[in-house]
Amino acid sequence: MMSHIRRTLSLCRSRSGVLQPARTSSASIGGGGDLVLQSRSTDVFQNLALEDWIDANVDLERRGVLLLWRNRPAVVIGRHQNPWNECNLPAMRSAGVPLARRRSGGGTVFHDLGNLNLTFFSSKKTYDRQRNLRVITEALRRICPELDVRATERFDILLNGHFKISGSASRLSRKSSYHHCTLLHSADRSALAALLRPSCPGIHSNATPSVPSPVTNLLDHAPTLRWEELLEALVHQYNAEFGLGSASTPVDPADESAFPGVAAAAAELRGWDWTFGRTPKFGVRTLLELTDERSAARGSARLQVEVKGGVVQSCELDVPAHWLPRRLSGELSGVLVGGRFCPHRAAAVFSEVTRSESCELRGRLRNLCDAVVSVMG
Amino acid sequence: MQLYARHLLINLEEEEARRRADPRRRIRRSHQYATKMAACGLFRSLSSNFFTVLPLLNRSATLSPLRLASQPYFGRTLATSCRLTAALKFTDKHEWIRVEDDGAVGTVGISKFAQEALGDVVYCGLPEVGTQLAQQDEFGALESVKAASELYSPLTGEVVEVNALLADNPGLVNKSCYKDGWLMKMTIGNPAELDTLMDEAAYERYIRSIED
Repeated sequence: MMSHIRRTLSLCRSRSGVLQPARTSSASIGGGGDLVLQSRSTDVFQNLALEDWIDANVDLERRGVLLLWRNRPAVVIGRHQNPWNECNLPAMRSAGVPLARRRSGGGTVFHDLGNLNLTFFSSKKTYDRQRNLRVITEALRRICPELDVRATERFDILLNGHFKISGSASRLSRKSSYHHCTLLHSADRSALAALLRPSCPGIHSNATPSVPSPVTNLLDHAPTLRWEELLEALVHQYNAEFGLGSASTPVDPADESAFPGVAAAAAELRGWDWTFGRTPKFGVRTLLELTDERSAARGSARLQVEVKGGVVQSCELDVPAHWLPRRLSGELSGVLVGGRFCPHRAAAVFSEVTRSESCELRGRLRNLCDAVVSVMG
Repeated sequence: MQLYARHLLINLEEEEARRRADPRRRIRRSHQYATKMAACGLFRSLSSNFFTVLPLLNRSATLSPLRLASQPYFGRTLATSCRLTAALKFTDKHEWIRVEDDGAVGTVGISKFAQEALGDVVYCGLPEVGTQLAQQDEFGALESVKAASELYSPLTGEVVEVNALLADNPGLVNKSCYKDGWLMKMTIGNPAELDTLMDEAAYERYIRSIED
């Protein structure tokens, strides 16, 4: 199967090395028009890298591509979003759910194996999101005629006029475009609700916000709808809408020979610099609740942090002098500046400070450090 | 003409001295270099006429305009650089660049066609000052309801300034794409690249051809 893919893609490659529709060998590709691809990977970074690879390397002026994919549980934020504001980073860490930032705009979504992703690749001229969404709504109308599914002006798809089953985002590049959307077949809704909430309060930012919506799964309303049946219907409708007869071809985004450079692209997407470092400038202004275990006394402190490029630019920790000496709170805020806004990093630099302190202060100091670290997600 | 030439020479020397004393030299090193090159170019063009110009400067008698008019290289250099500072140049990705008066820095933005196609911009993702860009490199993205649209550098150079107003007011890109909605300023590392861009008339023709 993989050699067939390699042959298919290599037949499409022009002399310049860019993939183009192979006019003379169109019969052997099956249809000679748009490609329908289905990713074998369930790794969110590999799949996002595959999207960028197709966008950069396939000549989309003459043919479109539909890519079908799904991921193991992951949270995916939009290009210009703030992950601390959009998702519960500590809960994700405990659950082993990774965070990915995609290159398209839009809001935050939860991916798992019950959430189907569709990416419609086309030229910038033929970029038409409503037409793409019609593929989904018409396919569903055919196989689940009892369901009321409709696309909205915001390019969501609503079930029964109320529940969101699909959201969209897009990217326009040199000559091409892609529009991708989710489709909730059987996602874990309780995980979704638990993870898509802010990590910490008091964030001030001009990052693009998400618009929260009540969601539902298709399976909850059409209990006999199998995953494979849904995919088949979508491929059939894509071919009907775009006038072609492509069968769905499996692809492996881990195959460097079929997709040269895809591994490096996935590595970049996994990196802290892209995922967190690309967060628009923001500030955190919050009140920390402090306790002294030994005396059961309570106190509070004001924290104000400015973060740019994921790095702490300035930090003010206003702790009452009777709670802890000002030199200590000053030292703590000092060691944060210039470092990543990251709980691991903060905990590491704080441990240096707490180590050298006397026993009586250590308890309160540790409590303060924990409170600051918890703000970082 | 004689007084103007002297005035120009003195200004360029003073400008150079001021820049050397500037505490923000590090950031504007490439800016300085480009300025120096432009200044050197002008000095060269003047000095090529040195034997005719110097005696003219030392003479107390007024200059015959005809004699100076016969220095075509000198006249042409000044006239050309004035035209460049005023005009916009466009890329086929609908970015424009306007070369500043000193010829060393260009202001970059997107065209009316681009901002109309985008719709209301809700976020401007722009590069950090100091970023090195090659011509056509991706340098950021504009997000609108339509999509996240990549931005491509019109020239090779270094980012020296980013429009801070866009953080709180991204809609400036729609309202005033040629003026207040500028995106960034960059050095012009390779002025010859300007010749690869379209002037306004060529860009208008290009737009019409796409729309058909």
